[in-house]
Amino acid sequence: MPAVTYVEFSGAEHVVDVAEGDNVMRGALNNDLPGIIGECGGGLACATCHCYVDDAWADKAGTPTSQDEIDMLESTSDEVKSTSRLSCQIVIAAELDGLIVHLPEHQY
Amino acid sequence: MRIDPANPVAPTNIVRRFGMDQVPDHVPPELVRQAGLIYSPEFLSDPYKFFAGMHEKFPPIFYDVGPFGNAWVMTKHEDALFALRHAEYFSNEDATPFPRDPEDYFYFIPIEIDPPDHRKYRNIVDPIISPQGVLKLETRIRALANELIDDIIGKGECEFDEVFGRPLPVLVFLDLMGLPRDMSDTFVSWAMALLHSNDRKIMGDTLKTIGDYLKIAIAEKQANPDDGLVSRIAHAEFDGQKISEKEAYGFVVFLFIAGLDTVFATLNNMWVWLAENPDRRQEIIDNPENINAQVEELLRVRSVTFSGRTVAQDVEIRGVQLKKGDKITSILPACNFDPDVFPNPSEVDFHRPKKIILAFTVGVHSCMGAHLARLEIKIALQEWLKRIPDFKIKPGAETIYRPGGVIGPESVPLVW
Repeated sequence: MPAVTYVEFSGAEHVVDVAEGDNVMRGALNNDLPGIIGECGGGLACATCHCYVDDAWADKAGTPTSQDEIDMLESTSDEVKSTSRLSCQIVIAAELDGLIVHLPEHQY
Repeated sequence: MRIDPANPVAPTNIVRRFGMDQVPDHVPPELVRQAGLIYSPEFLSDPYKFFAGMHEKFPPIFYDVGPFGNAWVMTKHEDALFALRHAEYFSNEDATPFPRDPEDYFYFIPIEIDPPDHRKYRNIVDPIISPQGVLKLETRIRALANELIDDIIGKGECEFDEVFGRPLPVLVFLDLMGLPRDMSDTFVSWAMALLHSNDRKIMGDTLKTIGDYLKIAIAEKQANPDDGLVSRIAHAEFDGQKISEKEAYGFVVFLFIAGLDTVFATLNNMWVWLAENPDRRQEIIDNPENINAQVEELLRVRSVTFSGRTVAQDVEIRGVQLKKGDKITSILPACNFDPDVFPNPSEVDFHRPKKIILAFTVGVHSCMGAHLARLEIKIALQEWLKRIPDFKIKPGAETIYRPGGVIGPESVPLVW
């Protein structure tokens, strides 16, 4: 399974395997990682799974994939940056093996 | 206090207050109201006008005295978000109004269970009810919607609530649970007695009836597993240990109560609006690519329920002191008309910037059926408007709303 590295705001790193077809938010919840809440469960309705895709992965995963995601990113509690994503919308594929995402200090 | 879901204990510290004589001393007299929410003639004559009007008529937080119990009431979007996201101040203990037998107590799971235990229960059902999970149901829901329309399209009229608004979500839900479709009418009558009798004796008796039935259903699924949610819950294991009887029971009972009449009420509300707004109906038909935003906006202006909590420790909101043990209700349908978040809130605008709507609440306990509900509403709109694009409320019929904790009209007679 592709490995995803989650970097907490404190700098603590967690590397977990996330199945292809699953998303980065689920990967965090399935492994009880702190820093991602995902309160709506991936419905583009809550903006509590905000993450910053690492610059090295910006080309492959750093751009929102729908207008709904762009709109919902306006509701995040922490600053939106150029690689801000809702992690429920980053669907894991083989080419994302090694993906690194940085988590904001707050999700709300 | 962390509770043990497998060994439920009835709380003994719950204080229910009723009437003007039971307003606590710390409530400032100028914040006491008798708003008439869910029962007054003014409310029932036009609930959504009432919700929208609350922002002008009432303080943003006030103490509501009424026949179903006294409680703080909040109408600001921001305050509801705060309450829903801070379990340390706003506990789910006794958050539901359904009376349980203290001698045979159980927790409503997962709504009464906070993290970290909460997640282990959600993991049982998430694969089925996640956005990706419910998409697998799309073909079946679409086929069912069309079967229901086949039965009535030639008649030129129907009782929408009986032939579409109710059977569509109820049958989908029963299939998902793995419960028999031929019990549908019985189940709905139980849900009505539980949610709309507004009588604690009837509610308690009905909850027992539902529970007795579901105990047998769980036992049957234990013997004969299938793909339904009841069976998944009955066979769940945590770290190799089988789910306890009380946990399985509390989970199945809660799903049963939560799943039966919320989408039903939502569809009824929306179809009244569609019938009364032919131009806007046409706008939906003419802009099929905007369906998700249309669903979201209709959910905003026709949310059906409320969110109750118990104050877990003293806290101040907008200068108002809330004391431990106070009851508090977020009026979600009113929060969705908050002009600070949704400018010109009563205008239905399918191109609003996407904001958090409170139809399904937020926080850890946000509605697990939200994705299924959105999908059902989307399919209902698409299939109905494709085949019956032009309709109105039967001339002479009056739209009468049911008193109770889920807002919806008694009947929706349509002609076309």
